[in-house]
Amino acid sequence: MNRKPRLPVRIVVYLLVLLVAVLINLPFFWMLVTSFKTEDEVFKLPPSFLPTIFDMRNYVGAFDLIPLGRYVVNTLIVALSVTGLQLVFNSFAAYGLARVKFKGANIVFMILIGTLMVPPEVTMVPLYVIIKNFGMIDSYRALIIPFMSSAFGIFLLRQFFLGIPKELEEAAIIDGAGHMKIFFQIILPLSKPALYTMALYTFLAHWNEYMWPLIVINSAEKQMIQVGISQFVSGWETQWTLRMAASTVAVIPIIVFFFFVQKQFVEGISISGLKE
Amino acid sequence: MRRGIRKQLTGWISVLPALAVQVIFIYVPLGWAIFISFYKWNMIRPMRWVGLANYTRLFESSEFWNSLWITGVYILGTVIPSIVLGLLLAMLLNVEWLKGRGLYRTLFYIPVITSMAAAAVIWSWLFETQYGLINFFLSWFGITDIAWLEDPKYALTALIIVGVWKRIGYNMVLFLAGLQTIPRAYYEAAEIDGATPWGKFRNITLPLLSPTTLFVLIMQFIASFRVFVSVSVLTRGGPAKSTQVITYYLYENAFKYLKFGYASAVAVVMFGLMILFTLLQFRFTRKRVHYS
Repeated sequence: MNRKPRLPVRIVVYLLVLLVAVLINLPFFWMLVTSFKTEDEVFKLPPSFLPTIFDMRNYVGAFDLIPLGRYVVNTLIVALSVTGLQLVFNSFAAYGLARVKFKGANIVFMILIGTLMVPPEVTMVPLYVIIKNFGMIDSYRALIIPFMSSAFGIFLLRQFFLGIPKELEEAAIIDGAGHMKIFFQIILPLSKPALYTMALYTFLAHWNEYMWPLIVINSAEKQMIQVGISQFVSGWETQWTLRMAASTVAVIPIIVFFFFVQKQFVEGISISGLKE
Repeated sequence: MRRGIRKQLTGWISVLPALAVQVIFIYVPLGWAIFISFYKWNMIRPMRWVGLANYTRLFESSEFWNSLWITGVYILGTVIPSIVLGLLLAMLLNVEWLKGRGLYRTLFYIPVITSMAAAAVIWSWLFETQYGLINFFLSWFGITDIAWLEDPKYALTALIIVGVWKRIGYNMVLFLAGLQTIPRAYYEAAEIDGATPWGKFRNITLPLLSPTTLFVLIMQFIASFRVFVSVSVLTRGGPAKSTQVITYYLYENAFKYLKFGYASAVAVVMFGLMILFTLLQFRFTRKRVHYS
């Protein structure tokens, strides 16, 4: 494995890797190509692998046909709110669990982590009833409040906080610092990579969320982007160019963003292995 | 003493918001799902105690057994290819002299970070019978006009393809992390003894990777069990119930027919099966997994 094989073998391996990369991403390439084609070009056989003209009209058409701009704004509001709240509540909880040796900390940790074993599909009916009783159906609150904290985020931050040397804290205590000061001035600044990773995961998960908004949001203008682009207005069934333009809006910003932050992402999984 | 009380208080206050959220929105619903499963309820008329009636109806329902069967086939169809392909790609990217491994890892990972809903919309176009890209490629081999999403023979296969495509990258990254923990020296020693590539894979890689493999297996099993989004977007359980997986059966009973009690019984059975099968996987693999 550590010796370089002969050139032909190396070429084959490189070609293989390239082929896999192309095949795996072909659906996204095809989405982009289709989104620029004209309606006639789409129904042509054999299909052209590059559009003859880059027709932006499909994007205008998609924004006209469904409230795509609203979907983007709605989803940003919800995903950013959830991320912000989780940063606060998860880091509070993680600090308490990792740094304050209070009685019952281990039991609380087990209770919090235990929720990872409960799939959302199992609790969706009663959760719907609870949300309805709180009068939150068809509101962003239904999408934000139940997700203000997460076992995954608490776990990730707790592990990170545990790794910060005790000496830093002890020096601060001698200087008369309380928990508030230690948390805000020592722990949080040192934990930026973990907070960043957690925020990325949370934002992505809620940008991509489909099932829960499908259940609790009824009004078209309040809908999240993933449900919005997959539930089509009748009569739009065969307009593949518009559908692909709408999907591009939901997917491409995330892929571009991912290229900048992929290191945090992939390392986050290798550490925790908990989130997709 | 006072400092002790203060410490307890600080600890509890810090965990309280998160604990409250998790209890109210996960544990209470979980307990309540079990409770509702003994009632007949549609949220309009008051709840009516029916004992185990929901469960007996469930086990007598051919639709429920159908959904379990469909879920089982989907799990078998996705788990094996996504693990094998994930491992193969991980080994490919673990080749030391390969340049640009980080870039390839990123490229292989893209389906994992994109939403299943958008991916399913894209795949619905790829699977289109007349003008879809997949049937176009198949036409090179003389296969034509497969109605992927409209033919009960093919719809589940289509969902399996999407499911595998979406998860390969995730499994690959986990395997890659596992492969990197295997010391190079083992391979070097084996090479000196004249081991073949297959021999090295069989006797070094596979046994030392087994904890990772078990983890990947369980994560993939749970993810496959929970398949919902692709079904909801691509087939809505059809055609002719050929893709009605258990989550979709549960969803339709709850939110289409408003049978909350019955749907809760489905949820409880689903949860039970998931835990049971996860434990079984631990049990049956225990002897084969080597923790170093």
